[in-house]
Order: sequence, then structure tokens, then C-alpha cells
Amino acid sequence: MKSLASVDAKALPGSLSAQHLTLRAGDRVLLEDFTHTFFPREIWCVVGPNGAGKTTLITTLAGLARPAHGHVEIDGERIDTWASAALARRRALMPQHSHDAFGASVLDVVLLNRFPHLTGWGWEGREDRAAAHAALETLGLASLAARDVLSLSGGERQRVALAAALCQAAPLLLLDEPLAFLDWHHQIDCLTALVRWTRASPRTILFSCHDLNLARRFATHALLLEGNGVAHTGAARDVLTPALASRAFGYPLVLIEQNGYEALVPALPEAPC
Amino acid sequence: MSLPVSNARASMNARRACSVWVVLALTGLAVFVAALALGSVTISPWQVLLALAHASSHVADGGPAGDLAGEIVRSLRMPRALAGFSCGALLALAGALLQVLLRNPLAEPYVLGVSGGAAAFAVAALFAGCAWWLVDLASFSGALLSIGLVLGLARREFWRGERQEASPRLLLTGVVVATGWGAAITLFIALAPDDRLRGIVFWLTGDLNGAASPWPALVALAVALGVAVPVAPQLNVLLRGDALASSLGVPAAKLRLRIYVVASLAAAASVTTAGTIGFVGLVVPHALRLVLGNDQRMLVPASALAGGIAVMGADLAARTVIAPAQLPVGVVTALVGVPVFLWMLLGKRR
Repeated sequence: MKSLASVDAKALPGSLSAQHLTLRAGDRVLLEDFTHTFFPREIWCVVGPNGAGKTTLITTLAGLARPAHGHVEIDGERIDTWASAALARRRALMPQHSHDAFGASVLDVVLLNRFPHLTGWGWEGREDRAAAHAALETLGLASLAARDVLSLSGGERQRVALAAALCQAAPLLLLDEPLAFLDWHHQIDCLTALVRWTRASPRTILFSCHDLNLARRFATHALLLEGNGVAHTGAARDVLTPALASRAFGYPLVLIEQNGYEALVPALPEAPC
Repeated sequence: MSLPVSNARASMNARRACSVWVVLALTGLAVFVAALALGSVTISPWQVLLALAHASSHVADGGPAGDLAGEIVRSLRMPRALAGFSCGALLALAGALLQVLLRNPLAEPYVLGVSGGAAAFAVAALFAGCAWWLVDLASFSGALLSIGLVLGLARREFWRGERQEASPRLLLTGVVVATGWGAAITLFIALAPDDRLRGIVFWLTGDLNGAASPWPALVALAVALGVAVPVAPQLNVLLRGDALASSLGVPAAKLRLRIYVVASLAAAASVTTAGTIGFVGLVVPHALRLVLGNDQRMLVPASALAGGIAVMGADLAARTVIAPAQLPVGVVTALVGVPVFLWMLLGKRR
């Protein structure tokens, strides 16, 4: 679908734009001729079944993987023409995995994402420390600042990685499964913090996620990958419908409404007694 | 049991790093003066300083005795102390870099087969009864050959960058190549005549007695530090994985190649000068990490300084403890290093 393809991205600073993007994994076409522009103050949820290409798309949009066809533009400039340091100040990526072979304090791990802002001999200044503490504060991690990352639980590490991405202070955030390992409460806290973050100044977030209901509630828009080349874009509630989601996930889903709350649930067969 | 690790998790900053370097440099200076003063003839530190001050002058100021002392300091002890310092520094630097490259705390300068190649060629030269300079040449060529071999076999691991886990294929390639060299060395030892065995064993354990001149190793150290220290901030990022590193603007593949080449050449320079001194490259970076944290900006220069101090000090012990007999310095580094490191590791509160 090319809902906004006709809009000229070059006229719009602050935009991320995919131009005729084709993504492949081996022989499989994940996404075909995808053209779309993402604007500031939009929160996009990238959903799709396993192996549909969510990580590939996010990595490509970050400029770290080459698409089979097409290209990505940020602020109207092709992403491969950006200088690496300038690009790192423009967009932050939170990868699905990071390594913790050696111990380090939570604060130090978060401070690493200030790398594109370092000057001189490459030591962090007062501003960098302030940004790191602010990011930890935003995600309720201030009390963990001095802890060793190796002693943290999976969910805590995930929030530390998210705080690190925020601390990079890039107006475009690309998050690959930021809510993995998080309990309900923390998923909602993180999404609330991200919503607040996009409202503070013109910022854009794309995150991949498996919880369609949280996506419907917190994301302004959704990008549904079917994994066969087809993608649906639009307002979250228009894309994450029982019909489209059932088709993409290959399992029947129904929308339940009660007291003003909505939930997409799998239409499971009757439980055996 | 607890170690002074209370500040281990405090953030490193430029001022703390500088104080670490200054403390290490002063310790190094003290060990250097001790290495020049102590030995079969004890020379007072004052005479050592005089000898150093007059290094360029032929005029001795204390009569024949002073002249002799000056001669011992200048032409025997100083080259040996400097060679020890630069070898230790090169090894610890290489170890620190490879631990980042392989993202593996068990990495050390010899794990990728550099020393194996050097040792196999050097042992072959010793076996053939070659002159010392031929042994040095053989060992450096062996190291280069081994570096080229691993680089050629595992080149894809450098460029592609691992998607999931830390580079096990690069590590495995190096380990297997090293094992091959090990077999070649054993073969030479099995065939070597008895009168050459002692030289071979000393070479393999690491020995500064045969170090001809400290200058090649010192120059190698300066170059290695010049290449490694400016990228230290990027190494911090690389440790957290390729995806994060590239997203922060660090050219991961180029950086990996650069540290592999620097670390390997550093190890090669050290092995050529003093044989395979063990343990320093593994333990010195870890000991510093346990006490001071894992910030590469501090750790890379500090490892070099501490490694230099360790080998220079160990060599001082090696030639004074059971004087007039001498021990291979590698035996001292391991004998002292093993218990000290175990104490640090196991005493650390988790």
C-alpha cells in the first residue's frame, strides 16, 4: 500500500522515507516496492509474524543493511550519503540483542550511546552524564545506575537498552522488540514514556512488537508485514483489524469490546474439558 | 576476603584514568631503577642515576669502580629492563585488544596462533643451530605467516561481522592453527639433540637473556599504542555488539581488522624479542579490569604500562632470586601470576 507515497519527502525535514524498498531473505521476498514516509510525532508499530522481516526492515531503515532494491532517505537525503557520526545523532537504533561478555555499570552502558556526541579525547562531559541520568530517570531505572548489568534480569536489561537509545538524543528512534522480556506493567510504563518523549519535540518512533493490543492503544500508526512482499500501513486501528491481522498471522482473530475497551484475541477452539 | 574493589563500578573519567596512568608510570619508574640497581653487583640508585645521566659521556666520574657500574647499568641491565618492559607492554596490550575483538574474556595474545607460528619457526632455527639473528628472523616470519593464515582463513568473519554470537569461527580458526603449530614444535623437540634442548625450552618459556636489543620492541610498542589508543573509545562500543556499534557510527569491520593486525604484530614483536612469555597477556588486562572497571580508554594504556611493569619486575626476580643461576622470565610471571590472579578473581564479591 502506498497511502502517503505521493507526498514529496524532500520538502519535509524531519521525515524518514522508504523509496521503492524491496527486501529479501535468501530467495524469499519479504517486502516489495514499498514506498512510504514516516513523519515527526508519529509512533509506528511494526507487526507481523515471525520471519516476516521486521528486524530486516528496521535495520534497513537505520541504514545498516542494504535493500535489494530502492533506498532510504532521512530529511530528503539518501541514507548512504550521511556521514556516520551525523547519522548517529539523527537516528538511534536499539538492536534486538546486545552483548554483555564483561560486566559494566548500568550508567556506563547507557553512556556508551553518547559516543556520537563525544568530542576531543573521547571522554563524556557533564552534559553526557546528565543525558544518561535523565534517560534512566525516564524509564524508572535511576536506582539501578550503579548496578552491574550482568546482575540484572532480562527485563531490566531490556529497559537499560531502551534508556541507552533514548540517551543518544536522536529525533528518530528505531526499536527492535523493545518490549521483549518485559512484564505488563513495565511494557505499559515504557510505552507511556515513549509517547511522552515524542510529544516533547518533533520526534518519530518505529518499534516492532508482538502485542497487537498494546500497539492499537499506544501507537498512532501501524505497519503490518505479511512476510510475502505485502505491507499495510495506516492508522493503528485501521490496520490492526481482525481481517488484516488474521490474514497476516494465519490465525483467526476476533475483536472483543467491553466497557469501552477493545482487544484482539485469537479465536481459539473450545478448550477440551 | 575482599579486595579494594569498592570503586570498581564507579564511572571512569579522564581525571581518574590519568591518575591510574600516573601511578602506574611512577611504579614502572621505580621498578626500572630497581632493575638497574639490583643483581650480582648491587649498585646504589644514586650511581644508577649518574650512569644514566652520563650515558652518552665516556668520562666516568667515580674512578674504575664507577666506570664498571656505569658499564653494567648501560650495556647489560638497561637494555634488558627496557626489553622486558616493552615485551610485557606489547603482550598485555595485545591481550586487552584481543579480549575486545573476540568478546571473550579468555582471549590472550597467543590464542590466535601468533606465538605458535613464531615458536615453530624459532624452534626449527634453534634445531638447525642458527645464529641468534636468524632465530629472531625465523620467529618473526613465523608469526607473520600465522597472522596471514588466520586472516586468510577467517577473512569473512572480519567483514561480515557476526550476526548472533561473538566470533566463534575466528576464535576456532586461530585455536586450530595454534594447535597445528604446537604439534610441529613437539615434533622438533622430540627430534632435537640434547645439547640444543635447553635453548629450545628457554625460548619456549620466554627468556630475556637472549634479548639482543630493546629498540625494535620499544618502537613496536610506540606504534601499537599510537594505533590502538585513538580508537579506544570505539572499542567500548564494539564490545556491545556489531549492530549497536554500527548504529553509533563505528565502522565495526574495519575496526576489527585494525585491532587484529595491531594485536598480532604486537605479540609477534614481543615473541621475537623474548620468546613466549606466558600469562601476562591474559592476566594483566583482567587484573586491571577487576580493580578499575572495563573502560577501554583507561584500560588500553594502563594494560601496556602494567604489563611492562610485570615482566620487568618478573625478570628482575628471575635473575636475582637464585643468582648466579637465572630462571626463564616466563616461569616467574606464571608462578607469581597464577596465585595472585586466582586470589583477585575468587576474592571479588559478586
